[in-house]
Amino acid sequence: MKQTITLLLAALMLLMAVTGCTQGGAQDAGKNITVVSREDGSGTRGAFIELFGVEAKGEDGSKKDMTTKEALIVNKTDVMLTNIAGDPNAIGYVSMGSLNNTVKALSIDGAAATAANVQNGSYPIARPFIIATRDDVSELAQDFIRFILSKEGQAVVGGSYTAVDENAPAYEGVKPEGKISVAGSSSVTPIMEKLKEAYLTLNPKAAIEIQMSDSTAGMTAAMEGTCDIGMASRALKESELAQLTGTAIALDGIAVIVHPGNPVVDMTGEQVRSIFTGETTTWEGLQ
Amino acid sequence: MRERSLQENLMKAVFLISTLISILTVALICLFLFANGIPAMGKIGFYQFLLGREWSPSDLPPAFGILPMMLGSLYVTAGAILIGVPVGILTAVFLAKVCPKPLYRVLKPAVDLLAGIPSVVYGFFGLVTIVPMVRMLFGGNGSSILAASLLLGLMILPTVIGITESAIRAVPGELYDGAVALGASHERAVFRVLLPAAKSGILAAVVLGIGRAIGETMAVIMVAGNQARMPEGIFKGVRTLTANIVLEMGYAAELHREALIATGVVLFVFILLINLLFSALRKGGRP
Repeated sequence: MKQTITLLLAALMLLMAVTGCTQGGAQDAGKNITVVSREDGSGTRGAFIELFGVEAKGEDGSKKDMTTKEALIVNKTDVMLTNIAGDPNAIGYVSMGSLNNTVKALSIDGAAATAANVQNGSYPIARPFIIATRDDVSELAQDFIRFILSKEGQAVVGGSYTAVDENAPAYEGVKPEGKISVAGSSSVTPIMEKLKEAYLTLNPKAAIEIQMSDSTAGMTAAMEGTCDIGMASRALKESELAQLTGTAIALDGIAVIVHPGNPVVDMTGEQVRSIFTGETTTWEGLQ
Repeated sequence: MRERSLQENLMKAVFLISTLISILTVALICLFLFANGIPAMGKIGFYQFLLGREWSPSDLPPAFGILPMMLGSLYVTAGAILIGVPVGILTAVFLAKVCPKPLYRVLKPAVDLLAGIPSVVYGFFGLVTIVPMVRMLFGGNGSSILAASLLLGLMILPTVIGITESAIRAVPGELYDGAVALGASHERAVFRVLLPAAKSGILAAVVLGIGRAIGETMAVIMVAGNQARMPEGIFKGVRTLTANIVLEMGYAAELHREALIATGVVLFVFILLINLLFSALRKGGRP
């Protein structure tokens, strides 16, 4: 008797394990759309809701984030990608620099999500990467910022993101000695690492230390003077602007992504808005 | 002789300092939490904060109500207890009273290993196996109270098993021998005599399991969906208190940040109550 029960239980567990491993198949048009969004306060989310009009603005200056309350919330780019890649009915958004082939990026109003299209303005969904400094920054920090905004610096940016100024003047730095530290947003860090490398080949006497955390920590560090340059992937808050000056160094496109099995390849901005506000809830209902 | 007593006193001081360090840490954490969190609660309004059903910190004007998250934590924890406690207690009974020695030497380290797996790994496991399984079996998008409860149920197993097992082993052997001598079968003696005798230890295990489940963060974030709205059923997503803090801390500033710290205060009070309950149970169990 005991053995029979044990065997039955074992068989049941095996069955559960097998069903657990088989992933869902192709996307089903009648199924509900799984909306995946970033957390409140995230730079990517802030830019996304503003650019797609998911944010309702009142005449009295009030703002309301209209993202549907049913949206799954994730706080990391990689979790966003795993969620979308694992759910045939999901839709979400990531920074264009983080796209990979486990998901499919949609064209918006006919323009494909590429850095070139962000550059020429046909793909309108982009946000600036910002560096912030206090007024009394060191000579080296000033020179490094001049480099970032120069032709050479913007060429580095153009590799994976979009330059803010195509016709920037060439770098004519004074190449001072010293050491500076840069801290802040993990979205900006990869491009900052490349800029640092390029700058150090021009000015080997300098030393630059980059600390990756998040936008708020970077701004706090810059205000307190524990770092020379702060990095942010969101607009600066008023309390931060009181002490810091922000400069945009690159444009980062935001790609709307779906499961690779999803037949949809192109959407209008209006369709994206209606999905993220919860007006459209099924792939069938998409007009 | 004098040298001896000098040494004694020196070591006494070392031990005293070690103790003070841990007490000081707790005191500092309390101080930090309450000093930062209480004023924020005051600014938001005590009742709006604890009983508000709307959490939209980026809106103008913002809303900071954490009732959805408090309920979320409670539901997810209750689910984890429902799943984890029966499995855990039965496993402990098996380990302590049924399991043959050679098997025990394999099983015990395996259970202990379960406690050593980092919670992020549990989270990814849940994201790629439990979430798709729930999606397939029950529809919806899978990230739900059920998925979070299942995962947390697994995660509290080592705690429940370990404490329950030692509680059962601590029961004097005469009780078991007496029951068998009176004609009870092995199972009857274990379930009717040993388990009731170990009651307070088992309750303590459950309480510690609750503490573990309510404080768990990384794994829950990945499978719970994290919607900041009132819970709507076990197949829908939910956000817990811990998730709320971790999700948004990276980008939060000003009042939003303080509101998150105030969320921490609420969580801290929860944990404090649970620990008090635990020590009360421990004391009650002593003969």
